[in-house]
Amino acid sequence: MKPPSEEHDLIRWLDGEMDETERAAFEARIKANPALAQEAEEMRALSAGIRAHLPAEMAVPHADFFNSQIQVRIGQMEIDEARRREAVAPVLGSLLSWLRQSWLTAAGAVAVAVVAFLSLRPSSEDAHSLILSSYTPSAGVQTVTFHDDNADATVLMLDGLEEVPADRKISGISISRSETEPEMASTTLFDAAGSPQLVIFRDAAGNPQFWASKPRG
Amino acid sequence: MPASAATDLGEVSDIDLVKRSQAGDTRAFDMLVTKYRGRIYAMTYHLIQNETEAWDLAQEAFIKAWRALPNFKLDAGFYTWLYRIAHNVTYDWLRKRKIQGDGEFDDERTEHRVAAGAEATPKGDPAPDMALRNAELGHRIQAAIAKLSPEHRQVIVLREVEGLAYEEIAALVPCSLGTVMSRLFYARKKLQEQLKDVYETTL
Amino acid sequence: MRTLLPALALWIGCALGVAGQENAAPSAKPATEGKVWGGLVFATNDGTELTGSQEKAPATLPQLNTRLSKVFDFKHFEILGQHHQDIFREYESWVVPSRDLFLKIDSNGPADRGGVKLHLQVWREQQVLVKSDAVLRPDSPLFIGGPKWKGGRLIFVLSLERK
Repeated sequence: MKPPSEEHDLIRWLDGEMDETERAAFEARIKANPALAQEAEEMRALSAGIRAHLPAEMAVPHADFFNSQIQVRIGQMEIDEARRREAVAPVLGSLLSWLRQSWLTAAGAVAVAVVAFLSLRPSSEDAHSLILSSYTPSAGVQTVTFHDDNADATVLMLDGLEEVPADRKISGISISRSETEPEMASTTLFDAAGSPQLVIFRDAAGNPQFWASKPRG
Repeated sequence: MPASAATDLGEVSDIDLVKRSQAGDTRAFDMLVTKYRGRIYAMTYHLIQNETEAWDLAQEAFIKAWRALPNFKLDAGFYTWLYRIAHNVTYDWLRKRKIQGDGEFDDERTEHRVAAGAEATPKGDPAPDMALRNAELGHRIQAAIAKLSPEHRQVIVLREVEGLAYEEIAALVPCSLGTVMSRLFYARKKLQEQLKDVYETTL
Repeated sequence: MRTLLPALALWIGCALGVAGQENAAPSAKPATEGKVWGGLVFATNDGTELTGSQEKAPATLPQLNTRLSKVFDFKHFEILGQHHQDIFREYESWVVPSRDLFLKIDSNGPADRGGVKLHLQVWREQQVLVKSDAVLRPDSPLFIGGPKWKGGRLIFVLSLERK
């Protein structure tokens, strides 16, 4: 194992962190030492490869939605902020002036309209839950959101979802508490009797995976 | 080349957009989002290698930046300030997930998630050999980086993608210069192990 | 006085909602923003398709089946599974009344009138069906209309428990 300073020399030279004198000295060492020269060349090629294949800028998927979503959330933040100052007229005023910005795209405008509609209702009904915005990754799936007074509930309807096969067994579990491991790597779900029912963890791709303490079904 | 130097020309017009954003002009902020979303998304993506989450985190970064605008001093570079926010948001997320690196990843799983961002050749095209090999290499490099621990992935991304100098990396992480160098050296050695067949030279 | 100042700083940090490892007590339970009840409901017109589940809605959701019937045009509503879950302030929370349809929730802080701002994702196996930013308030449940199944429909009910 080489002493740390030698390893540091190699990468400092590679990354242009050496001054003139040091660089000249190191390059002399490379000339005199084929093994070092090989190591330096391999590392240089690796660096170049990484830079070539890790672009510093990437196209954001659904870029328009990315922007309009930010605007909706900023808008909601502004409304909350105004509300916190506890006056009705300023809330409406700031909301209306913000709505007047007609440059918002259609998607943003629809979301804005939802927020505005739900925010402008009489104060007694402001105690409802709200859907501020929604996004479905699948193109074929649409969302419809509304508040149903009769049901006294807020609805988020997902239309166009793939149907679950009839022979698929869907079973529920009854969970009354969860425990997350200190490093937050996994969560165990317990039923009312205190028996563990399920463990959730994230796999390498970031997707949730389940491990059951008893067989499914 | 350090990120701040790269955006010198852009910084001039940024000041105007930032001033207007600080005054509450959401349209000006929207222009800043459009200008920098590609670079912020790239950074978050390279750090966590998950398209969906990178998208969410890039969002978070801009929302946080909007909230923190009153604290931004116009004498510093806007992009530098913005990517520091994005970096912290992403790295916090990464730490909470405690994704274990250093060989604990499942090869197959990482493989299919690494598709986005790499130069992809459309299926069915009579693609020349070079393009195919290039895309293959891209996948392999991204897969190798995905196997690194968060700390090692971080220094590689900050150095190779963002082009930060050692001092800038040390200030951002934050850690000592010595730690930056040790981590960079270790990370590169690890990557070399994974990509031995690609970068081995014979003299 | 020397021990008082760090304690004061910690308290101020928590009061300001400053997230971060440096402010959290090492072995304390993570901060929570409230508790939710998540239920997976099977709605159907065909009584023979019911699974015979004995799960009951919590007292905080009175007349749940009647209320569901006003939105979803079905005769029978059966709770397949349910999950009471804390909403963590700084970490994601999972609401899993069933492995087949479940939620991921991230808190975006408190809202007025006892509510909570949430970012929620409805998951089905390895796929996100929908992502949504919402404000959840007590006594105002969310009915999420899910996929069709056996001629009926799966519905996810999310409700905020009063503190």
